[in-house]
Amino acid sequence: MTLAGRAAIAGIGATEFSKDSGRSELRLAAEAVSAALADAGLTPSDVDGLVTFTMDGNAEIAVARELGIPELTFFSRVHYGGGAAAATVQQAAMAVATGVADVVVAYRAFNERSGHRFGQVSSAAAQQVNTSGVDNGFHYPMGLATPAATVAMVAQRYLHTYGATSEDFGRVAVLDRKHAATNPRAWFHGKPITLEQHQASRWVAEPLHLLDCCQESDGGVALVITSAERARDLAQPPVVVAAAAQGSGPDQYIMTSYYRDDLAALPEMGVVARQLWRQSGLERSDVDVAVLYDHFTPYVLMQLEELGFCGRGEAKDLVASGALELDGSLPLNPHGGQLGEAYIHGMNGIAEGVRQVRGTAVNQVPGARHVLVTAGTGVPTSGLILTAA
Amino acid sequence: MTIAIGTELPELTIEATPTFVISTALATRDFQDVHHDRDAAVSRGSKDIFVNILTDTGLVQRFVTDWAGPEALVRSIRIRLGVPCYAYDVLTFTGHVTAVDGDDAEIAVTAKGSLGDHVTGTVRVTLPGAGS
Amino acid sequence: MIDVEEAARRIAAKGESRPRLARDPVNQAMVNNWVEALGDANPVYTDPEFAASSVHGGLVAPPAMAQVWSMNGLHGQRAADDPLGAMMSILDEAGYTSVVATNSEQTYHRYLRPGEHVSSSIRLEDVTGPKRTALGEGWFVTTRTTWRVGDEVVAEMVFRVLKFSPAARRETVPDAGAVLRPVISRDTEFFWEGTRKGELRIQRWGDVLRHPPGPLPPDGDLTAEPDYVVAEGTGAVYSYLVHHHPQVPGKKLPFVVALVELAEGVRVLGELVDTDPEDVHIGLPVEVTFLRVDDELTLPAWKVRA
Repeated sequence: MTLAGRAAIAGIGATEFSKDSGRSELRLAAEAVSAALADAGLTPSDVDGLVTFTMDGNAEIAVARELGIPELTFFSRVHYGGGAAAATVQQAAMAVATGVADVVVAYRAFNERSGHRFGQVSSAAAQQVNTSGVDNGFHYPMGLATPAATVAMVAQRYLHTYGATSEDFGRVAVLDRKHAATNPRAWFHGKPITLEQHQASRWVAEPLHLLDCCQESDGGVALVITSAERARDLAQPPVVVAAAAQGSGPDQYIMTSYYRDDLAALPEMGVVARQLWRQSGLERSDVDVAVLYDHFTPYVLMQLEELGFCGRGEAKDLVASGALELDGSLPLNPHGGQLGEAYIHGMNGIAEGVRQVRGTAVNQVPGARHVLVTAGTGVPTSGLILTAA
Repeated sequence: MTIAIGTELPELTIEATPTFVISTALATRDFQDVHHDRDAAVSRGSKDIFVNILTDTGLVQRFVTDWAGPEALVRSIRIRLGVPCYAYDVLTFTGHVTAVDGDDAEIAVTAKGSLGDHVTGTVRVTLPGAGS
Repeated sequence: MIDVEEAARRIAAKGESRPRLARDPVNQAMVNNWVEALGDANPVYTDPEFAASSVHGGLVAPPAMAQVWSMNGLHGQRAADDPLGAMMSILDEAGYTSVVATNSEQTYHRYLRPGEHVSSSIRLEDVTGPKRTALGEGWFVTTRTTWRVGDEVVAEMVFRVLKFSPAARRETVPDAGAVLRPVISRDTEFFWEGTRKGELRIQRWGDVLRHPPGPLPPDGDLTAEPDYVVAEGTGAVYSYLVHHHPQVPGKKLPFVVALVELAEGVRVLGELVDTDPEDVHIGLPVEVTFLRVDDELTLPAWKVRA
């Protein structure tokens, strides 16, 4: 038995992406789920499963209550921040593949800019009374207390190991913003940046400039997952989950896996990648579009290496070569990524993957059939390969 | 009693209950609020009320004479203060003989609490008959 | 600008304060209270019969009570010519507003007996500073108290306090109250106990060092017991970052956080202090230092090795 091809994403929905939604996170979740169901041609009464992130503030039962979803036979949450994104689809796919549920909606909604800001220091994260709190005791009190800072530590080592420069990180931001500039839904629609602007932007956590860091956003995204068979009868062309995988690496921490031999790598993404190729039977050259999690630019370079699109330390050359442009061999984040569109914890990237396979994306890559989507990096993570039916 | 350099004193454990902290502070006529008023102690940056220094000297004396016996004459008590001993902590006194000269002996004392060394010190005593 | 040393010389030159008679003579009631509170069962203080047959030939007061007799009491005031009071005022004015006792050295020339009435006088012996201490910058003030019965010196005490400036302390921990405190488990408490004592402790399972520590060795042997080594505290920067934004509780922007590979082979993370961020690079030799936050928390940190 394999998960490959058993489930499909039948609907996607989202709120607008903003800096101040002006409404509750539950309202955002309900709007996103409602939009996704409408997209699929389904109603709340068709839903019997809900999946989200452990970090999400909206209980499955609260979302069900608001939308009038009468009964749930499956509800589940995935841990490790943005690393959960693709794994919510994996959870849903496993549920529909095993008959545990028929229609599962994965959702993520937050006021991450106007409410609790992830980019600030979280004393709650530092002081949670569990093993993660104990782990955090070895860096929060010392001043390593923001996501950007945790990434900067790895980025510095990466620069040192492979002779890369801040400009190599910057080229990722420039590319994302270029794509966002032509995406009307993107927060940075019409606002491309130059490499000079990237270099001139202020330091957040050296070697990371402000423009190496994704924005904080308000908004919600939802995805409807059902069996590949049922999806064929629904409103949209089905987007099949060809592979879905989670991964955690040796000596894994949340954002601070600093005690491994090689600091300049993302072995947890390697665990995901191996499964994706095996499950889908696809090869790297089959991937038409890559939607790589880009909360911070250095991890995009490191993912390209970990996923095998280039050798170690060669991602800077791959980016500089133009291969990641819309007309290149591996178009990256056509929606603008989280650096350009919005930071909805990776869920907006999955929605973009669906649009690319459907052929309805605003920056459509012609003939895209296979899209690779990854989830949060620096944490235990996940990934998907989406394909046309 | 046979003593020699290195002779270990029996351990003494003191439970620094709030009652202990307060009653010893008052018995040593130390009315500083940090030794009996928890709110005042906290507002001055301490975790709780804490044992006063006159009591430390007294406890070091007791620790040594409990072992040396009532005939021992205490000649001097020199203490250095380390971390505070807050209410609800437990102090463990340990000590050993560091010098012997006729009837006179010198004893090194340490009182350790949960935060680390609370007191380290040296006591000189005369032990009648010890030198013979 | 107050010249602390000049003030100290002036106060010391006044010599000993006038003898001040204790409120009460040495008395059995206070002795009884004292031995009861401290749990001292020595019968020479309370059992007249035993005391009579002892080396003392009668009841005596505990020598450690010497200072008790001359305490000012609940509403008492320092004597106007008390040099310790005068020196404290000078240092308060100079900004050294906090005080902590550091040493008490009492010498007992003879035991006191009930009925004897002691007087005390105090002399300023020494003022040393300013010194950088774990608590902050401060001055060590040493006084000598002499207790007499009539003209006979019966006991003496050298007493030292550190009068320090909490403002100076903020140079290392700008807002100690705001520092994010570590969650400490049974597996990690030895590490934090170590930092309080100025030791960088690394968990050891047989020959294998492990940091951050945990409840099991790398091979998962449930029967193994860990101990720790106190690291030499020297190493080299393995990676680092310069934090500019946003504000981090207890830190002054910008600051450097370094992941250091110790000589012992494990990596330990801490702030790299007293260094221009421009001068930091991977491979920079550093050594451990400790940032005291309060009695319970001391953070390991790094400074550039000279």
